Amino acid sequence: MKDLHAVLAAFQEATQCPVAVWVADDKMPPTLAIAVSSGNVLSPDTLPETEQGALLTNNGQVITARLSGLKRAWMTMGPCEGGRRPLERNAELLLPVVNRMMRTGLEMEHTAAELAGRYEEISLLYTISEILGRTVALEEAAKTILVELSQTVGSRRAAILLYDKPTTMLYAVAAIGVEAQLTSIPINDMGSVAARVFRTRHLAIADASESTSEHEAVYSRDTMLAAPIIWTSSTGSLPLGVVILSERETGQPFSAGDQKLVAAVATQIGIAIQNSRLVRASMDQQRLQQEMLLAHDLQMKLLPQPGSLSADAEIAARVVPAESVGGDFYHLFRLSNAATGVMIGDVSGHGYRAALIMALTMSAASIHAQIHSDPSAMLAALLGSVREELATTEMFVSLFYGVINRKKSCLNYANTGHPHAFVLGPDGKCDRLPALDPPLGMVDAPPHAASLPWHSRESLLVLFTDGISDARNAKGDRFGEQRVLDAVKKYRSEPVEVIQEKVFESLRRFLGRTPLRDDQTLVLLRA
Amino acid sequence: MSFTIRKQGEIVVVDVEGQLIVGNRQELKQKVLDELEKGEKRFLIDFTQTGYIDSSGLGVLVSLSKKIREQGGELRLANLNDDLKTLFELTKLDTLFQISDSRERALESF
Repeated sequence: MKDLHAVLAAFQEATQCPVAVWVADDKMPPTLAIAVSSGNVLSPDTLPETEQGALLTNNGQVITARLSGLKRAWMTMGPCEGGRRPLERNAELLLPVVNRMMRTGLEMEHTAAELAGRYEEISLLYTISEILGRTVALEEAAKTILVELSQTVGSRRAAILLYDKPTTMLYAVAAIGVEAQLTSIPINDMGSVAARVFRTRHLAIADASESTSEHEAVYSRDTMLAAPIIWTSSTGSLPLGVVILSERETGQPFSAGDQKLVAAVATQIGIAIQNSRLVRASMDQQRLQQEMLLAHDLQMKLLPQPGSLSADAEIAARVVPAESVGGDFYHLFRLSNAATGVMIGDVSGHGYRAALIMALTMSAASIHAQIHSDPSAMLAALLGSVREELATTEMFVSLFYGVINRKKSCLNYANTGHPHAFVLGPDGKCDRLPALDPPLGMVDAPPHAASLPWHSRESLLVLFTDGISDARNAKGDRFGEQRVLDAVKKYRSEPVEVIQEKVFESLRRFLGRTPLRDDQTLVLLRA
Repeated sequence: MSFTIRKQGEIVVVDVEGQLIVGNRQELKQKVLDELEKGEKRFLIDFTQTGYIDSSGLGVLVSLSKKIREQGGELRLANLNDDLKTLFELTKLDTLFQISDSRERALESF
């Protein structure tokens, strides 16, 4: 409006008659919009509603003219200096100029205001992107977002509600302007606008009378705008929650621009929630992997070092778990100067649960092996210790437990469902030590025991789990127990560590790069 | 991998296609328990189309057998392939189940 001001100033200087422009809003009285000097103008309430006319004021005559094309705006001319009458001819000349310049000026102001509004919205979206980009936990960001959003839209009351799947409720992660206790809204609440928006996934503007839900009462006053928070991916869309705004400061209804803005913010919140969940899942996964590595180390530490019994026996033992932790294990016991106990076990399944049963079995076996010299009594006692745990987890343990007595030259053993236990005699003959009972935990009856001759320093005890014999190559062929026994027989005169390496070498050659499906354990013992 | 359940007379017959392993054992268990819940007592699991059972699968068979026995019923098995038969023998699981070489013989044996 600077240009118009300059024109009016030039006119006043030339004619000594002041000119002013008045503008009135719908309900407000007219106010002075443009004047060169405000000291010598009409009082607003004296302006006539007529198109054009002349007024006699205390200071002299004034010409008023209604500006066309504008709702309620007037031009006034006079009173002139020296008590001169303003010339109607001058007013007629000036009016179209003022009219045109006023219209242009107001249009520019309107455009500027709109641009400022858009700028605020863009600025809000940018701010929210920044807030969401900075934080992993949405709950932390929710309050800040809500404050920014409600300020921009001009709402005193606002809330972000997220869907909780287990309870099927919308619970508040942030709220402003809510004095009462925050409440959760069931998604099937038919009186709730927020629940309806969540179900239909469509934004809604509702009068106070439409929301009849007692759960929603704290969030709504006057008109309410509720927008769904949706996450959309290539496979479809998922409703995650609702943004609610109500109690507008101006008392005006929500505009189309407000709806678009809130919908855009809700979309950003949806993306942030999903990102936050993915980040959390990834962090959980990383933590789990670290815990699994730790568990693997712990599990390997539970297994005794084969060298710990080197005075009594030559032992080679190795467990290769299919996952970080597994259910295969072996155990070694020095029972007396002449007796050595050896155990191999395979807990059904693998992973954490199998590893826990394995640890429990090993620790209980350590106690019972020192008390019971007879393998069947030892396994009966062991079953007593782990029975309940096996029953509740529906797991079981295939277990071989042998006691080699060098003085008596015999091997006593109990075998609950372990399929691969052999003794390779000095004559090169390989005898299977068959299972005498089903796996530990499957039946309540105490396990049986059997005995066979043992040739000190000549007999070789060969124990392995089905992770070795059932291993399959890329073609789907089984490695089979015969390949294990062939390798053992071929290298039987070598130290046990060499035999062990040859078996695993043969297995590796057979499998190639095929990943492990099950834990692999091999124990070789000469005593 | 899938399970087909059909009734033959008084006997619920379950066909296991593919493998019975850690990944699908719960499905088999639930299907059989659902039938048990309905009051069925006699169950036959036919392994004609089954290539492999892992230790978790064996565990489910034993668990189901126990649960069915507790309800006064019985679980029998039929048509184990040679590998599975050897597995059952080597682990002494053959002492826990009545195992038949054909479905007909298994159905008659109830």
